[in-house]
Amino acid sequence: MKIENIKTEFPIFDEKIQNNDLVYLDSANSSQKPKVVADKINEFYTKQFSNVGRSVHYLAVAATNLYENTRSSVQKYINAKDKNEIVFTKGATEALNLVANTLGQKYLNEGDEILITELEHHSNYVPWHFLRKSKNIKINFAEVNDNGDISIEDIEKKITSKTKVIAITHLSNVTGAILPVKEITDLAHSKGIIVVIDGCQGAPHLKLDMQDLDCDFYAISCHKMYGPTGLGVLYGKKKWLEELPPYQGGGGMIREVKKDKISYGDLPNKYEAGTMATAQVIAFDQSIKFMESIGIENIMKHEADLVEYGQELLQKNNSVKLIGSPKNKGGVLSFTLEGVHPHDIATILDEDGVAIRAGHHCCQILHDKLNIPASARASVGIYNTKDDLDKLNDSINNCKKIFNLK
Amino acid sequence: MNLKELYQEIILEHGKNPRNLGKVHEFNKDAKGHNPLCGDNVHVYLKLNGQKIVEDISFEGSGCAISMASASIMTDLIKGKNEHEAKEIVEDFLGMIKENPDLKSEYLKDDEKTKLMCLSGVKQYPMRVKCATLSWHTLTSAMDNSKEITNTES
Ligand SMILES: Cc1ncc(COP(=O)(O)O)c(C=O)c1O
Repeated sequence: MKIENIKTEFPIFDEKIQNNDLVYLDSANSSQKPKVVADKINEFYTKQFSNVGRSVHYLAVAATNLYENTRSSVQKYINAKDKNEIVFTKGATEALNLVANTLGQKYLNEGDEILITELEHHSNYVPWHFLRKSKNIKINFAEVNDNGDISIEDIEKKITSKTKVIAITHLSNVTGAILPVKEITDLAHSKGIIVVIDGCQGAPHLKLDMQDLDCDFYAISCHKMYGPTGLGVLYGKKKWLEELPPYQGGGGMIREVKKDKISYGDLPNKYEAGTMATAQVIAFDQSIKFMESIGIENIMKHEADLVEYGQELLQKNNSVKLIGSPKNKGGVLSFTLEGVHPHDIATILDEDGVAIRAGHHCCQILHDKLNIPASARASVGIYNTKDDLDKLNDSINNCKKIFNLK
Repeated sequence: MNLKELYQEIILEHGKNPRNLGKVHEFNKDAKGHNPLCGDNVHVYLKLNGQKIVEDISFEGSGCAISMASASIMTDLIKGKNEHEAKEIVEDFLGMIKENPDLKSEYLKDDEKTKLMCLSGVKQYPMRVKCATLSWHTLTSAMDNSKEITNTES
């Protein structure tokens, strides 16, 4: 599939949104869905539906196969060694909570330290904060530098003899910084430290290879990968998933239940308690196939071109202040406009059909550090074009006019 | 009124030089409000005299243009009204911004109604209604001596 006319695969771009053509620049928040994904959800519910893994009738077996096919596709897509290292969750948030919770139950003790960064999304901070409360675990922060980047030197500096886990984002959802996750993982492992990566912004935009990266856990958000909402993936090394306790209890995750004794099921069932987001898992296979049909190299090239173009455009626009100019930057352009609150920017852009996000993007630590309450963020996906970024810039100029800015 | 007109009007009028910004000398009632969506903060100060008339009113705060302009317009209108009238005006404004097509209170003069109706444009933007109502809810808390921070998310 050619990336140049990929917009036609996304039905939403045929819609008029409040009489405008949609300029969608909010993919870091959630991506739009290709027709194949929406169709698969419809097909599953109307032609193939059954719960998975429980009954022996034909539909149940067929649905179970579809469900497990997605697991295999994800395994291949991220080059995990074993299919059972792929656990479905309700989102990346749940994946990160699962990791923090189970490490907290079995592996971490009072006084141990977790190292995160000032770039982290709340979902890679709050779950660790729970352990700060319940187990007296200390959280340290690697500092963001003036480029909106985290240096491996600062990570190294913040590691102490008590550091047990390093939990970091792959790609910042505000500054766009792509962290040197492989180097950080190597460094951490040389000191016996577990590495947890929040891959929400990495997975839709970067080439993934779990065996090469060698991290211990990697959390993925499917709705940012042209897939359904209510679904995430946790990659975890088999030895950890086998060793750690279950996260939630219920049907599907047990082997045997007696009044005085319960034993748990094997991977991956151990971590998939209750009826899962079945239709979403099954449709997510289409997202993976869709991305594969374009090719991650092409996606990366396309988005890198867009970022470069957008960055240049906004840099030339006086009054616009871009947040972060990291060495390696993903498709996120966060900015402020002197004297204009980001929510006012977003509302005015919306009038022109330009959808961006304003706020702290679930990164209050970072915004406090930058000394701003909020920022405006335009983020790109495979369907965006340079024309979209021109429209963004034109609309910012409209906004400046309203606010009498030069 | 469309959104651009709304912005133009309220920003030219109030955003650039808000009325009653600062802290009332010898205030006897005050309350804080917070809108987590935009991170808007307001602090409303009142001086109610023995006859329960709002002798003076002001606000401090930071936030988006809609919340600041709304606070500015509100303080302008409430000054000189008695507590009963003020409460009715708050009700009337909140009713208008949420559902009613116009303002009904007899305590508002026609030109005051026109000013308030400038803010009706946010109706098209449900997410932003909270920005416009923040200072008004905070005023109510101040009059009711509520110590809790008014939070538009709840
Ligand atoms: C960096 C980052 N981490 C975590 C999340 C949460 O992901 P999910 O919506 O799948 O729970 C997001 C998405 O908002 C994100 O951008």
